[in-house]
Amino acid sequence: MASLRGLSRPARSLPLSPLARHTYTAGSIRCASSQAGEATSDLEQSTLNASQLSPEEKKDFRPWKRAADRKFGLPSGRYQYHPPKYERGPLHPVQSPASSDPIARDFVPGPFNLPRLKQTYHSTIASDLMTLAYMHVPPGTPGKERPERLRGWDGSSPYHKNRALRGPRGNPVLPLVERDVTFNNVPEIKEITISSYVPDAIQDADHLLVARSVLLALTGTTPEITRTKSNVVQWGIMRGKRAGVKTTVHGNAAYEFLDRCIHLVFPKIKDWKGIRATTGDSGGNLSFGFNPDEMKLFPEVEINYWMYPAKMLPGCRVFIKTTATSDRQARLLLQSLGIPFYGEVRN
Amino acid sequence: MGKLPATVLRRPSLAAGCLASSTSHTAAAAARAHLPHPSSPSAQSGAGQVRHATFVPRSRRPYQFTQLVQLSDGSTFTVRTTSPAALYRSGKDSRNHMLWQPTEKSLRNVEVDEAGKLAAFRERYGKAWDLEGFKEDGGPAKAAAAKTAAGDAPAAAATATAETKTTDARAAEPAQEEDPFGSLVDLISEYATEDKNIKGGLSAKDQARKEKSAKKK
Repeated sequence: MASLRGLSRPARSLPLSPLARHTYTAGSIRCASSQAGEATSDLEQSTLNASQLSPEEKKDFRPWKRAADRKFGLPSGRYQYHPPKYERGPLHPVQSPASSDPIARDFVPGPFNLPRLKQTYHSTIASDLMTLAYMHVPPGTPGKERPERLRGWDGSSPYHKNRALRGPRGNPVLPLVERDVTFNNVPEIKEITISSYVPDAIQDADHLLVARSVLLALTGTTPEITRTKSNVVQWGIMRGKRAGVKTTVHGNAAYEFLDRCIHLVFPKIKDWKGIRATTGDSGGNLSFGFNPDEMKLFPEVEINYWMYPAKMLPGCRVFIKTTATSDRQARLLLQSLGIPFYGEVRN
Repeated sequence: MGKLPATVLRRPSLAAGCLASSTSHTAAAAARAHLPHPSSPSAQSGAGQVRHATFVPRSRRPYQFTQLVQLSDGSTFTVRTTSPAALYRSGKDSRNHMLWQPTEKSLRNVEVDEAGKLAAFRERYGKAWDLEGFKEDGGPAKAAAAKTAAGDAPAAAATATAETKTTDARAAEPAQEEDPFGSLVDLISEYATEDKNIKGGLSAKDQARKEKSAKKK
C-alpha cells in the first residue's frame, strides 16, 4: 500500500490487480527520493515521483464509464449543514443556529468599519453632553415634587374607592417626562426612519419602483411599501392604495446615513439655513425632509443619477429617533453632531 | 426568541411520538400533508411536526462597498455604501461651508473690487438699496458697519471712496429732511416706473364694450 502512494490519484483508483501494481511500481522511474526508503516515500507525496501510465492503462481509465455503470448515486463528498428554514419554537429539537452564526439564514455580516460619527459620539460628544447638562444638587436635597399627572377622584361617592385614575383633561395622551442627562442617560441616536410618500404611484406604479430603489440605494435595506390612510377625491388618493415606501436603519447604518446628510448633503443645498427648530414630537424625535432636487445630492443617487427617471425622483422625510425624552435634549444632541437649527424654538 | 440546545430538549414524549409516526406511516404522511410548508427530511424523521412554524427569512440587501470619502480639506474616512465608486471626492461639504465654518475668512462673500469699477457701476446704474449711503430704518450706520465688516479684501482706495460717499450722504441728510415732499415725489415716481405690464390703453373695441357694460349696470 505504501508503494501505491507514489502513484498519482487517478492511477491509484485504477482497478488493477495487486500483482500488476507491484510490478508496475518496481519498474517505475528511478529517482533519488524513491530510493531513499519506505519511510520517506510515505512522507513525500509529490507529483515528481508519480509514474507515467502505460497506453493500455490510460485506455482502461474511464471514470465516466464507471459513473454511467453505477446503479445508485453516491453520497455527496462532504456533509453540508443547512439551517432549518422554519423556526419551530424553543422546545422543538430542531433549532436554528444563532443569527450571529455565519451559516444561519438571518446572518448579516459586519460591522466592517467604525462609523466616523459614532466614533466621535462615543469619544467626545457623549461625555461633553453629560458635562454640559450637569446640574449640581447638594446631597440631602429633597427631590422635587411632581404634580399629579393623572387626575384622581374626589371621593364624593363610595364607588370612587379603588377606581383607576383619569387621564389629563383635553389630551388623552400623557406627554413624556423629561429625564435628566446622567452618566447612564446620555441622549443617543436610536434609529432613523426614512419615508417617501408618492401619491402619484396610485396612478402609475412606476413611481413606487423609483422611490423604492432610491431608498434602497440610500440605506442599503429593502424598503417596505406603505399604503394611503385617507380617502380624498380631490387629491386623487384612495384609502388602502400603495403610495409610499419607508425603511428604518439602526446602529451603524443610522450613524452613517446621518453623517452623509450632515457633511455631504446639507452643505450642497442652496441657501440652506438649517433645520427648522420647531420640529419634533416633544418626545425627542426630530425630523426633516429632502425634496427631489436635494435627493440627487446624495452620493449614492448621484453616482447613477441617469438611471432614475428625473420626473419620478421622490423626496423623502427623515425621522431621527433618539433616546432623549424631550425635544431640547434631542436638539442638543443633533447640534453637537453638527446639525444647525434655525428659527424659533418650540419645545 | 431564545434558542436552547437540542440535546437538552429530547423528551420521552417526543421520542414516543416519533416512534408512533414511524410505525404508522400513513398517519405521519397525513400529518405531513396538513403542514402548509414542506420541511426538511431530517426534521420529518427526527421530530414531530409543529403548527406554529415561522419562516426564517434570508435578509435581502444590496451589496455594500467600502468607500473612501475625501472631504474638501483632504481628510478621508471610510463608509459602507451602495455606491460602487471606490473614492468619493466632495467639492462642497461642511469643511468649506459658511454655516459650519463661520470663522473661515476665505469663505466670506466679499466683493473683489480693486479698481472700484463695480462701485462706479453701482453708483451710476444702481437702485436705491444698492447705493452707498442707503439707509433702512436703522440708518446709515448699519450699511457702514456691513461695509467695514466686508471690507477686508477691497483695496484702500475703494474703502476711501466709500467713506467719502458715506460722508456725502450724511451731509445730504439734513437737506432731505427739510424737503419732505421730495421723498414723496420719489415714491410716487417709483410707483409709476414700476408698472411695466401696461403696454398701452384699451383698444377701441374693448373701450366700447366696457362702456356698454357700465351702462347696463
